[in-house]
Amino acid sequence: MCRIISTLGELHQSLNLINHSSRQIKMFRQNKKRISSRRHFSDDNSGSQFIMGQPGSEAERRLYDKIYESKLSFYELPPQGEITLDQFEIWAIDRLKVLLELESCVARNKTAKETETIVKPLLQKLLPFNTDSLEDKKKDYYSHFILRLCFCRTKDLRDKFLRAETLLFKLRFNMLTSQYQAKFVQSLDLPMLQFISEDEKMELSQELYQTISPQLQFQLNLTDEMQRRQYFQNERFIKLPFESVIDLVGSRQVFLKKGFAYLPQFQQLNLLSREFAQRLEEELLRTFQHLPHLNEDDRLIPILTHLSTGYTISDYQQYSHEFGSDAQEGEINSQNVYSKEISSNFPLCAKNLFSGLQQHHHLRYNGRQQLSFFLKGIGLNADDALKFWSEAFTARGGNMTQDKFNKEYRYNFRHNYGLEGSRISYRVWDCRTILSKPRPARGEFHGCPYRDWNVDKLTSELSSMKLTSTQVSSVLESCQKNEFTIACTKVFESTHGQTGMEVDDQTHIAHPNLYFERSRQWQKKHSNETE
Amino acid sequence: MTEEENGSPNEAAKPQPPSSSDMQYYYQFIYPFKQIFNWLNHSPKPGKDMINRELAMAFRSGAYKRYNSYRSVQEFKSQVVKANPDRFEIGAIYNKPPQERDSLLKSEMIPLEKELVFDIDMDDYDTFRTCCSGAQVCGKCWKFISLAMTIMNTALIEDFGFENFLWVFSGRRGAHCWVSDKRARALNNLQRSNIIDYMNVVKDRTANKRLALLRPYHPHIARSLEQLKPHFTAIILEEQDPWRDDAHAMQTLLPGLHDRNLIEALSRYWKAHPGRSSKEKWSDIDAIAAKELKISRKQEFINRLRECKEDLVISTLYPKLDVEVTKQTHHLLKAPFCIHPGTGNVCVPIDENFVPSKAPRLIDLQSEMELRNHDISKTSLQPFLDAFQRQINKLVKEELSNVKRDREEDDGQIVDF
Ligand code: SF4
Ligand SMILES: [Zn+2]
Repeated sequence: MCRIISTLGELHQSLNLINHSSRQIKMFRQNKKRISSRRHFSDDNSGSQFIMGQPGSEAERRLYDKIYESKLSFYELPPQGEITLDQFEIWAIDRLKVLLELESCVARNKTAKETETIVKPLLQKLLPFNTDSLEDKKKDYYSHFILRLCFCRTKDLRDKFLRAETLLFKLRFNMLTSQYQAKFVQSLDLPMLQFISEDEKMELSQELYQTISPQLQFQLNLTDEMQRRQYFQNERFIKLPFESVIDLVGSRQVFLKKGFAYLPQFQQLNLLSREFAQRLEEELLRTFQHLPHLNEDDRLIPILTHLSTGYTISDYQQYSHEFGSDAQEGEINSQNVYSKEISSNFPLCAKNLFSGLQQHHHLRYNGRQQLSFFLKGIGLNADDALKFWSEAFTARGGNMTQDKFNKEYRYNFRHNYGLEGSRISYRVWDCRTILSKPRPARGEFHGCPYRDWNVDKLTSELSSMKLTSTQVSSVLESCQKNEFTIACTKVFESTHGQTGMEVDDQTHIAHPNLYFERSRQWQKKHSNETE
Repeated sequence: MTEEENGSPNEAAKPQPPSSSDMQYYYQFIYPFKQIFNWLNHSPKPGKDMINRELAMAFRSGAYKRYNSYRSVQEFKSQVVKANPDRFEIGAIYNKPPQERDSLLKSEMIPLEKELVFDIDMDDYDTFRTCCSGAQVCGKCWKFISLAMTIMNTALIEDFGFENFLWVFSGRRGAHCWVSDKRARALNNLQRSNIIDYMNVVKDRTANKRLALLRPYHPHIARSLEQLKPHFTAIILEEQDPWRDDAHAMQTLLPGLHDRNLIEALSRYWKAHPGRSSKEKWSDIDAIAAKELKISRKQEFINRLRECKEDLVISTLYPKLDVEVTKQTHHLLKAPFCIHPGTGNVCVPIDENFVPSKAPRLIDLQSEMELRNHDISKTSLQPFLDAFQRQINKLVKEELSNVKRDREEDDGQIVDF
């Protein structure tokens, strides 16, 4: 019964959230200065059990303290309170970054441990949990619900969100101390989490031990029989209908008796994450069924669509602060961009553009733009850029005069540097921008090779980059799934990992300049250490 | 593999494929439509379990007509009599009556429930079956199937807690199991395929594919091994004796030992002493191992050998089930009491004591009917009908008490609220 109320509550709340934010969007259009003005959710639910509270009020603080008492949440009750449009967007995007990174880890077959290492810093920065800050708690809570709205509309999106959120849940659970883990499990009050009595365990001890012994050996690395017996002595078992742990039934990882499965406590996370996923799946469907109401409000749709579709984690402006710092002024010039030292750090799209440029002494508009921005991103200054392009276009073999170049192209390249026209310094293109342009026609070289090249061409290129055939097929597999940036990240890893020198940052690559920066860093570190 | 030693290859009566007028007669006068209806409906009053149930008809011509459904016993019977199919199959309970399918979008037809079903076929034992081959079957090789039923029964009852299930003779050389418990019917595809994975310990019955079972055995496998052991001696080593054939022993027995030295020693020995029986060869393994091999870590070696032998028992006798049949809710399976089109046997409900020669044949039923004044209860089908009826009674009773319990729980909730 309680469930139904919360469902309706959620519907209501979701819509409130939408109305609320769209009102703010409207205001945003009318008056930019009022962006951060606060608006209240409609208050007609007072007395029911939603999450309530005035912002910053003592009540609100107490509420979130309670929700996060054991650090983790199943996100059962929809939030009710107020947030600003800024918060709405930033919180959602920050959570999305974390989720996308997790997804990329899965696609790259990272183990749970590796995933943790990769995602942890990001998590700390964007979505801290385990903190006392009210703001952080609210951020975690709201961002989850906002993304539910974005990702409920198709089965693919729902599955994607579900996978990533469940992974995030598992990751965080594992980061908790066992004391908090126990506290959290208790707080869920799941009727199915009943531990069996010591008597029942004694009675079934042979069967129970037989069942878990191989898992102790292979999953927990207890190679010694004595260790395993010891572990078993202290282990507690949960008894529940076999349907609830069905994935452990097929692999015979639970003991079954009269329709009940006996789950060792160390497999408990399995169960919790299943429960988490199951509930979330239901909630997402429910949110989706009520989403049509949203169509009335076409102002919000673009935001939600933007968040759920094309958005990738690249934000080079942000990265360049972190990575570009040691790129010395003038390090790259119109001559040495061709050198092996520099060009070996190019992602495939840039390599492709270079070889097109060298073949034809010309590039069509989209190719010019893509390469010009890329070069700008790696630190080629405006003067050198002009030199680079004019030399490339007028070089022997081509038939363009310096004069023609000056007339037809000079403006274009200076414009890209913000030296002409509206004088905007344009952002360098990330993979998403690149992928959103029209595909290259014959004789064009822009775009992303992982999308645009056929299997044969890609295979031979990758093999020439010394990828093993397993690595090649793993890359091709990602291409086939339209996961081009994952393919690209895999290639980066395959070409920068084998020396035993780990790359510090293993996050997903979704920007050609990030590819370059990271590769260059690795190259420098590598040569320093081998010298 | 000598025929004389194993007796006549086929004790069962000669196959008698029925004609289409035989079938017409059978549907008209003998087939227990009402019982089948109630069994699938879980209640004598027509409900959605039958009204929304898919039945498919297979015809002599090879035609196959899916998505039939019937609202009453009368309609069920009259439609089948009219169509006069070779056999018909039972599928899932949908959210809507399958016969309305044409007026619906395909995506609107969702299979909701169905009995959990299993299918065992003699084929899977052919490597170790010497008494018969191909479509033939006799009392000796039927023991494979009986034993499979025993193993399955134990797991269904002890592990999964199911109570209402029925084994049905497939008409020639296999058996189907229908689990009708409410809980089994409600299983989704993922749950079904996990159950079949749990049950299918042997994925491939050839000795050179290592079983890859972890030790210690899972309790279900350990228990099954204990059940199979005595029969291994009786059925494999003594009755079927597949390894008397030396080449066969080299191919299917030796690779299971997974030890090069031992395998070489044994094949040398059997080349020198050809034609030893399976039983002798089985004990040769221990003897040669003890004599020929000087192994420093003897105890460990003996343990490993014992494990290999256990795996061999499992891989020769453990039932292998058809995965596809079980895996999906919407899969169809031949209805009980159909006539096998090749043999003329009635697909009767059976237990572990059944042998195929006991199955009534349509041709015999026809003459019995003539002799006994068209009184079915006087024919050899009656005992099977009685057994079926007992099953239905149990099921319907269980179902009623479920409904009652649910209602009480609902009431309780309302008060609670
Ligand atoms: S994924 Fe991005 S960086 Fe990699 S090749 Fe494609 S566009 Fe270039
Ligand atoms: Zn036989």
